[in-house]
Amino acid sequence: MIGMLLRVLGHQYARPVRRTLALMTTTAVAEGLSYALLVPVLRALLGSTPEDAWPWLIAFGAAVAVYAVLRYVSDLSGFRVGTTLLRGMYHRLGDHLARLPLGWYGTDRVGEVSVLAGRGLLQAMSVIAHLLAPFVSACVTPLTIVVVMFAFDARMGLAALAAVPVVAGLWRWTGRSMAAADAERAERDREATGRVIEYLQAQPVLRAGGRTAERFGLLDDALHGLQRASRRTVLSALPGVVGLTLTVQAMFTVLLILGAYLALGGAIGTAEVLAILVLAARCADPLLSLSDIGGRLRGARAELARLDALLRTEPLPQAREPIQPAGHDVELASVTFRHGGRTVLDDVSLSVPAGQRLAVVGPSGAGKSTLLQLLARFHDVEAGAVRVGGVDVRAISTEALMAQIAIVFQDVYLFDGTIEENVRLGRPDADEAQVRAVAAAARLDEVIERLPGGWATNVGEGGALLSGGERQRVSIARALLKNAPVVLLDEVTSALDPVNEAAVHEGIERLMAGRTVVMVAHRMRTVQHADRVVFVDGGRIVEEGTHDELLRRGGRYADFWSVSPASAAGE
Amino acid sequence: MTTTELAEARERSTPPPGGDSAAGQRPAGLLRPFLWSFAAVVVLQMIGALAGLAPLLAVVELGRTLLSPGPIDHGHVRFTVLAGVVGLFVRLVCTAASSGIGHLLDVRVQLSFRRRLAARLGRAPIGWFSGRRTGELAKVVGEDVSAVHPFIAHTPGELVAAFVVPLVSLVYLFAVDWRLTLITLIPVVLAVALVPLMMIPARLREQQEFDGAMGRLSSAAVEFVQGIAVVKAFGGGERAHRRFRAAADDFVGVFYRWVRGVSAIAAGMQLALSPPFVLLVVLIGGAALITTGGMAPADLLPFLLLGLGLTAPVAALGHGFDDLQAARRAVGRIGDVLAVRPLPEPAHPAAPRGHRVELRGVHFGYEADHEVLRGIDLVLEPGTVTALVGPSGSGKSTLVQLLPRFFDPTRGSVTLGGVDLRELGSRRLHRMVSFVFQDVRLLRASVADNIALAVPHADLDDVVRAAWQANIHDRILQLPRGYATVIGEEAGLSGGEAQRISLARALLADAPVVVLDEATAFADPQTERAVRRTLAALKGDRTIVVIAHRLETVADADLVVMLDNGSIVERGEPAELLARGGRFAAFWQAHRSALRPLLADETTPHGGVSQGDESR
Repeated sequence: MIGMLLRVLGHQYARPVRRTLALMTTTAVAEGLSYALLVPVLRALLGSTPEDAWPWLIAFGAAVAVYAVLRYVSDLSGFRVGTTLLRGMYHRLGDHLARLPLGWYGTDRVGEVSVLAGRGLLQAMSVIAHLLAPFVSACVTPLTIVVVMFAFDARMGLAALAAVPVVAGLWRWTGRSMAAADAERAERDREATGRVIEYLQAQPVLRAGGRTAERFGLLDDALHGLQRASRRTVLSALPGVVGLTLTVQAMFTVLLILGAYLALGGAIGTAEVLAILVLAARCADPLLSLSDIGGRLRGARAELARLDALLRTEPLPQAREPIQPAGHDVELASVTFRHGGRTVLDDVSLSVPAGQRLAVVGPSGAGKSTLLQLLARFHDVEAGAVRVGGVDVRAISTEALMAQIAIVFQDVYLFDGTIEENVRLGRPDADEAQVRAVAAAARLDEVIERLPGGWATNVGEGGALLSGGERQRVSIARALLKNAPVVLLDEVTSALDPVNEAAVHEGIERLMAGRTVVMVAHRMRTVQHADRVVFVDGGRIVEEGTHDELLRRGGRYADFWSVSPASAAGE
Repeated sequence: MTTTELAEARERSTPPPGGDSAAGQRPAGLLRPFLWSFAAVVVLQMIGALAGLAPLLAVVELGRTLLSPGPIDHGHVRFTVLAGVVGLFVRLVCTAASSGIGHLLDVRVQLSFRRRLAARLGRAPIGWFSGRRTGELAKVVGEDVSAVHPFIAHTPGELVAAFVVPLVSLVYLFAVDWRLTLITLIPVVLAVALVPLMMIPARLREQQEFDGAMGRLSSAAVEFVQGIAVVKAFGGGERAHRRFRAAADDFVGVFYRWVRGVSAIAAGMQLALSPPFVLLVVLIGGAALITTGGMAPADLLPFLLLGLGLTAPVAALGHGFDDLQAARRAVGRIGDVLAVRPLPEPAHPAAPRGHRVELRGVHFGYEADHEVLRGIDLVLEPGTVTALVGPSGSGKSTLVQLLPRFFDPTRGSVTLGGVDLRELGSRRLHRMVSFVFQDVRLLRASVADNIALAVPHADLDDVVRAAWQANIHDRILQLPRGYATVIGEEAGLSGGEAQRISLARALLADAPVVVLDEATAFADPQTERAVRRTLAALKGDRTIVVIAHRLETVADADLVVMLDNGSIVERGEPAELLARGGRFAAFWQAHRSALRPLLADETTPHGGVSQGDESR
């Protein structure tokens, strides 16, 4: 547990954590040792000369003062270290998420990561601030007390000591037997969170389909599954709790009976027996709280394990000595790429000289978008190489590669913020005039004029408050501002109506001017201006040439063209 | 009774909408069915806690017997020890039972809360969602309900134990020696004196800020993951998205302020209640009393044993204080969601006759001062296709969203078969109106289930037929498990494919009124073909409204309605409107000239819209 914690935190935090742990242990030992002074105090008070108690009491007072200072310092240190760690961890998690390959992000990740990056991380970190101190004290103080008992009476000490291995054994056993139930529950929890998000986001569709909560079985099943898993967790925790309580109480019972027996036989002084029984009561309370702390620790441990797994997921390897690409040409050399057990691209080779335009055409699911993603190194290839400026993308630093490339996607994702913030994402240090200029070039200015808030209009989560065309214009302005030499376009205009498409097209033309362009297009008319066209199907290039050449060839491309509205509708 | 009526009946059985409907939905009200279980938890916990005093009292009694002058009564010692052991056993059984029942109860209550929340969210007006973030709402259903845990599983029992045990101990201790009792209470008084410091307005404000910052962080995390592609393309490589970092920094800042304010007080409280300090106070007081001869030495024992018991529950309360505060705030947020008013359901739903749709003097605005629709009068006849055209922002999408009652008009009325939509039960309405292409969302479920969304018990044959008509059947057969393939787990679909699934949905739903937004229907040639085939297949007696973008669709429509700035500026048959040379003709010309640069290579331009080539 501590090992996992230190690994998750990263080595730079290991020292403060160890220091805090040592402080906590010292505090707990100090508490246990201070109780040793109870015996002489009680011996005096219950004996014939109670005045003798005062020097011992002053000593006890001094011990308590030492304990108090230690405890206060270790409490505050725990809080402080915890907070520092929290900030570092959020940054580490964020940076790590950004470095993970895009292929890692499936539909269920949103739920998982939202929990983890929100309360999950806090809960994991709260181990240090809230649980570690009580846990250390609940383990160390009783042990110290047992040692103290030994010092005064070996028989009573031995009786108390017998409970230690049983408690430790039970603790381990409970932890192990709970692990499966906890994992199951966490899994169901994740499932349910994903379903809730789906349910909320799909409300319009679900309403139109007449599915309200009662009739949306997927959500109800997930909630029910969570309930069943939680129930199992509760039931499997019960034996451990009862067993621990039983052991601790049995220890107290044995001490009570043994003490009474020894005292009746006169083998031990009455004051000693009573003092030891008071100590035993001091032992029992922290031990009983162990089961409660155990439950909370397991909760945090599950979060910690998930965090650990996430942080141990390998990001794409970075080149040790990155090479700066010299040119702006792009190339795929015998590239094979598999994803989810399926070969998406199979031995694909193509090259685009600097300043030229390549159009990628083909049916849905042919691997066109993957091809673009490989150029931007969202994934690494299985075989072959992807080169930008003649350099393998794996040898280029992420910053340098991204500086070369501007991407415009079909599904534009905008961040919840103002239009200006979203445009500026392209180049945060751009000046006012540059931002206005790209807005005009992308015909975003007319959108901004229409909006009540102008540049400061909030676009909503994902850009939901803007129409598809408006979102696309923002994304083009963003790419224009970035001013990168290589432009990747992924079905940019396919989701737009004609008026928006025309507007967006102007922006796209400006974006493409003088740059190396690879575009995936369904709308055949945008393809005609390309210097070259490749037709992709089933992960392979099946035809290649200029638009006219391919039309004349009468193959797959020509076929595709004939059902496209641009050719036949003939507006 | 039909299912509709059943639904209405259930709706009426809860307090009627309007007025104080929120009162019946408060979280506390939802706990009523679990009252008996709560009682069992509390009673068992109380018995267990009191039985826990027995072993301590046994030690006290043992001490008295051993310290008393004269011969020791062995029988009394044996009885004392036995009483202590029995007390321990009773405590074990009762607290274990109480805790078990409490936690199982908690599990049931959480399910019931989540179901109620889901039901409420499923009836909240769609407009209500647009002002909220998915992450925050999901947090209410997930984490906030979990955060109620201490209220259900711990508080009732522990609260009772925290009051009853000290009370009983206190009475006993007072009977033994009132002076030492008061001295023993000093640590408790010290700790309690610190509690108000945690409740000062600044602290409470910090806690609210904490919750707000956590909500923002969760939203930022959702956004960060959804927009990861953009982050990768623009975020400058290794740097995580700024907003997530900003939200994280903001949260940690708020957290730090909160912790800094609370931690010193909490540490002080913990210290005052810690056993060494309590024992020190008791021993000093006891030593003073014994040395001055004011108290018998044996009377010190109960204070050493029970005195700590006085503080333990207070300490437990302090320990769970953070959780309790968090739970209270979570309950507040749950209450807020439960209090959302759904679009009112009619008390006596009317039955529509036919499926003629009529909009009369309809006004609507998302915000009070900004109307999106300004007085729409429109009749959609069965058996006709109506094409809505107009510049973006003219109100087309808003208008069609009134038909499935995503919103109610602010003025005027929408009727279906002569019945106002507000008089129609929601289930019936949803069976009659189907909506295609509004933001296609596929569920993480099998392809067949996705298609049969509106018809849960549809035959697979019918599903296949709909898929075939929507031109997606062949693609589905290529998926790993055909129609049983779970989308998002076993296979992903492209945008165009998702749209065709959505088309198949509408075909299967077979609703008499179909609303179709063509704006996104351009994903690929197959999808365009599918839309055309669907429209042809749907025709017949249906009432169809299309937000049209393609020339063929407009040319084929029976009625073209031109919207601008929330009003209808022209309507008529397409050819007639073009000939009239009014707004529609001008709009269409602008459209065409906008397209011209794209079509520069076209060598065979056709004449008019009405001649759009259909023979392909």
